[in-house]
Amino acid sequence: MADTILSVEHLVKSFRIHHQKSTSLKQLIAGKSRNKFDDFIAVNDVTFDVREGEVFGIIGQNGSGKSTLLKCMAGILQPNSGHVRVTRRMGALLELGAGFHPELSGRENVFLNAAILGMGRKEIAARFDEIVDFSGLHAFIDQPTKTYSSGMYVRLAFAVAINVDPQLLIVDEILAVGDVSFQRRCLEKFVEFRNEGRTIVLVTHDMGSVKSLCDRAIWLEHGKTIDEGDPSDLVEAYTERMLGAEAPAADGSVRRGSGEIKIVQVEMFVNGGTTPVKRCRTSDDVTLRLHYEAEKTIPQPVVGIEIEVLGGASVTAPNTRDVGVVPATMSGTGTIEISLANISLVPGTYDIHTSITDFNRAIVYDNLHEALRFDVMTGKPYETGGVVTMRPEWKLS
Amino acid sequence: MAHRNLLYLLSLKELRTRYKKSVLGWAWSLFNPLSQMLIFTVIFTYVFVSKPAPGDPSGLTNFPLYFLAGLLPWNFFAITTSVAMANVQSGAGLIKKVSFPHEHLVFSVLIAQFVTLLIETVILVIALLIVSQNIIVAHWQDAASPSAPNVLVWLPIVLPIYGLWALFTAGVALALSAFNVFFHDVSYLWTILSQMLFYVTPVIYFTSGLPDVLVGRILRSVADWGPTGAYIRAFHNLFYDGRMPPALLLLYLAGLAIATFALGMWIFGRLSPRFAEEM
Repeated sequence: MADTILSVEHLVKSFRIHHQKSTSLKQLIAGKSRNKFDDFIAVNDVTFDVREGEVFGIIGQNGSGKSTLLKCMAGILQPNSGHVRVTRRMGALLELGAGFHPELSGRENVFLNAAILGMGRKEIAARFDEIVDFSGLHAFIDQPTKTYSSGMYVRLAFAVAINVDPQLLIVDEILAVGDVSFQRRCLEKFVEFRNEGRTIVLVTHDMGSVKSLCDRAIWLEHGKTIDEGDPSDLVEAYTERMLGAEAPAADGSVRRGSGEIKIVQVEMFVNGGTTPVKRCRTSDDVTLRLHYEAEKTIPQPVVGIEIEVLGGASVTAPNTRDVGVVPATMSGTGTIEISLANISLVPGTYDIHTSITDFNRAIVYDNLHEALRFDVMTGKPYETGGVVTMRPEWKLS
Repeated sequence: MAHRNLLYLLSLKELRTRYKKSVLGWAWSLFNPLSQMLIFTVIFTYVFVSKPAPGDPSGLTNFPLYFLAGLLPWNFFAITTSVAMANVQSGAGLIKKVSFPHEHLVFSVLIAQFVTLLIETVILVIALLIVSQNIIVAHWQDAASPSAPNVLVWLPIVLPIYGLWALFTAGVALALSAFNVFFHDVSYLWTILSQMLFYVTPVIYFTSGLPDVLVGRILRSVADWGPTGAYIRAFHNLFYDGRMPPALLLLYLAGLAIATFALGMWIFGRLSPRFAEEM
């Protein structure tokens, strides 16, 4: 196994929230009764390791402590307790164009910014051409940066950032800058970085890049680690939790939620059959039967399913709230049937996830990942690409 | 290595951005002390009429030179301390987003101001050359005076004492900048304090001219041995009197510089890890 190059151990960081902030001496001296304050714990006992060559993602809502964690890792904030150990040269990109001065030329700013990011003079000089090439701003490099458009500014800043040469790169939400072609170059550079075996810690709200770029991820909520592991699973669960797009159900499956009510089994029937099956054909009439068990009476539960291409995109995620069929209560045991007539899926393997939440989707009672895996066989129409068929009619003349 | 480069570039930025968009540019840094000198000279020649004490042993009796010799180092001190505070405060964006040695925000100001001081000093020395020419010539012609010209002999000593003065200034600037992050009052308070300090420092008066009453005696000892006063006295020795400052004074200045710098670094070092969350 590769070496651990960054380890975070029981990291705790709290901030003191003053009800009345005293930044004047008078208040300090006169205010004999100490200011009232609360400690806000932004990062609460977080532990993880990042191994060499890994792309490690950190996901979580706004305010979940991601940025604080990152700043502790970057040495900007001092943790209250716990440790951050880094064994390689680290570069932290928490802001683009740190220290850019509008009156200075692009060239001067490149040198200044790169120095702030920790590069030596020779190193910058050696990479200068590459930086300018990457930014595509040859014609403007000796103009003051105040004459730049915001797009140019960001491109130059990003060009510097990406050319800092760290073994461990910590990045906060900066992949999505510039126009499409610039974004593509950024992504290429990023992949190049990864392929060179460098280690990257990435904080982003772009779940797509977490899934496609990261090897491992951690999910923070209220400063605590909710889960750590495979990014696809994490993104799945996270997205469900955040968007309320529900997905619970059955076997080889992962269950989350508070558990007052559960989907215990998902069965699939085809064309009015009575035997549960795990395969169907394109254009079959499919019925899904969800068996539930409730420990107590649940008011207004929202039941949802999600069908997903194996390891890939979500195809559909209907739920009872969207179509206004939320029951007043659910209790005991029972079944829910969902019929999907004339199913449009093209041949392939699909997963069904199920979920039950409260009406506001704040409480997840049950979330069953991969409740049922099924195959779609060749039917009519037969299509080999895409995920669903639109039942096209072709006219050739 | 990389951080030394950062310091270099930050200082360069201070210098480069200071007079951007001004037509006269760097000339402004000379106008400031020159206009101050002019004002004081007019005031003490025509308003509060007084005579400059002669430099000993140089024999110079010249208000403008005396004022400049004290004003240039004083301005370096006053400007560096206040700009350093502002620079750390306006560096909030950087401090919150990048891990780097925060003291460079102070040192870069110090270095930029030091460069300014050196340039201004060149002007002072040229003026000194012109004014003292007659004296030098007189000495040369006077065969009876074996220890002839003295005005310029000690000028090289100015540089190491500038160095000590910069160290002292750095210490004060570091401490003030660090405190100012937590209490913005510090910068306002310092505006007043440094003004008071200016008047207990013998920049625009001769301590020998202070009246021999209680207040005068107190003022004289503060002006002679207070930290800023002691330095200015040494500069007067070198620029105006044309002699080496006394060994005791030099020792005192060195001690002051080292102690103040060490204290400033210690305070800054203790407080700077908390800057990012305080700003």
